[in-house]
Amino acid sequence: MKNTYYLLILTTIIFTSCSTTAPLKKSVAYKGMYDEKPTTILLMPPINRSTNVEAKEYFHSTLIVPLANQGYYVIPPFLSMEILKRESAYDAELFLNSTLSKFGEVFGADIVLFTIIHKWDKSYSMVKVEVEYILKSTKTNEVLYSRRGAINYNTSVSINAGGFGALAAFALTAVNTIGTKHVDVAKICNTYTFKDLPVGKYSPINTLEPDEFAGKKVFTVNLNSQYR
Amino acid sequence: MKKILFLLIPVFLLASCTIHKPLYSWNKYDIASYNYIKNNDEKSTQELIKNYEAIISKQNGTRKVIPPGIYADYGFVLLQSGKTEEGNAMLEKEIALYPESKIFIARIIKMQKK
Repeated sequence: MKNTYYLLILTTIIFTSCSTTAPLKKSVAYKGMYDEKPTTILLMPPINRSTNVEAKEYFHSTLIVPLANQGYYVIPPFLSMEILKRESAYDAELFLNSTLSKFGEVFGADIVLFTIIHKWDKSYSMVKVEVEYILKSTKTNEVLYSRRGAINYNTSVSINAGGFGALAAFALTAVNTIGTKHVDVAKICNTYTFKDLPVGKYSPINTLEPDEFAGKKVFTVNLNSQYR
Repeated sequence: MKKILFLLIPVFLLASCTIHKPLYSWNKYDIASYNYIKNNDEKSTQELIKNYEAIISKQNGTRKVIPPGIYADYGFVLLQSGKTEEGNAMLEKEIALYPESKIFIARIIKMQKK
């Protein structure tokens, strides 16, 4: 009898350990993206739930590059921000759970990007960021893509050399002024996360892409300025 | 002859290592636009304009085409500084290059002409 119990417990443990999600193919994880084939993205002003007041700006200025480089048409960010402000639509939080068809009509957007900054904590040589990206369809209001990452960014520049190298590294850290350094952190968060976004219409067609694996929906990663 | 072959092998190996190039080149877009959002003064505006001009005059990306939004945002900055004609001309360029922008941009042009 005792043995049966042990066996039961053992199998339970084995099965539990199996439940860590196996990687999904992009065609499964981002099915909506392949069904709707969106081409045009509207960037919503980032939602800042962190304690860092400037985090919103760090992200705003760095979102267009990775998305355009993935082959999407990104609606001009400064012009669209101005219109959103004028139409009292600057607080993206208000639209997170509402219908988005209006953004399709006014901006011609197929999808809308919400960026939620959950955390932005900095210490001497580390910035710990938790950020969530949600792409929603303006046609169906469905979430077509979402990932949430905890990114630990090491801001000290390491150069593997003796005496002079150490000195150079020190100088570089000092030169990395606060603002620009943080823009770099936001940029790297975006680039890392959107690496697995199915490509848009301006990218060379890659028929094998749907079979590639999607990244983890929720992830933690350590990065530094060497990441590109 | 054989020597040449041996020399060629590492060349091929190295060639396959090249990281695939992005669609567009952006100069120092991130920093310039961050400074513009944050400071919104003459200096940061000039810096952003310089950056737009650099992106427009030289593209190192694989598409060899101006990236989305650049003409339009450049036009917007020009409009903000009272250069209506030049600003609208830039907006027209965005529509010509990216017809999907027409819904939005044509409305902005109309607003200027009112």
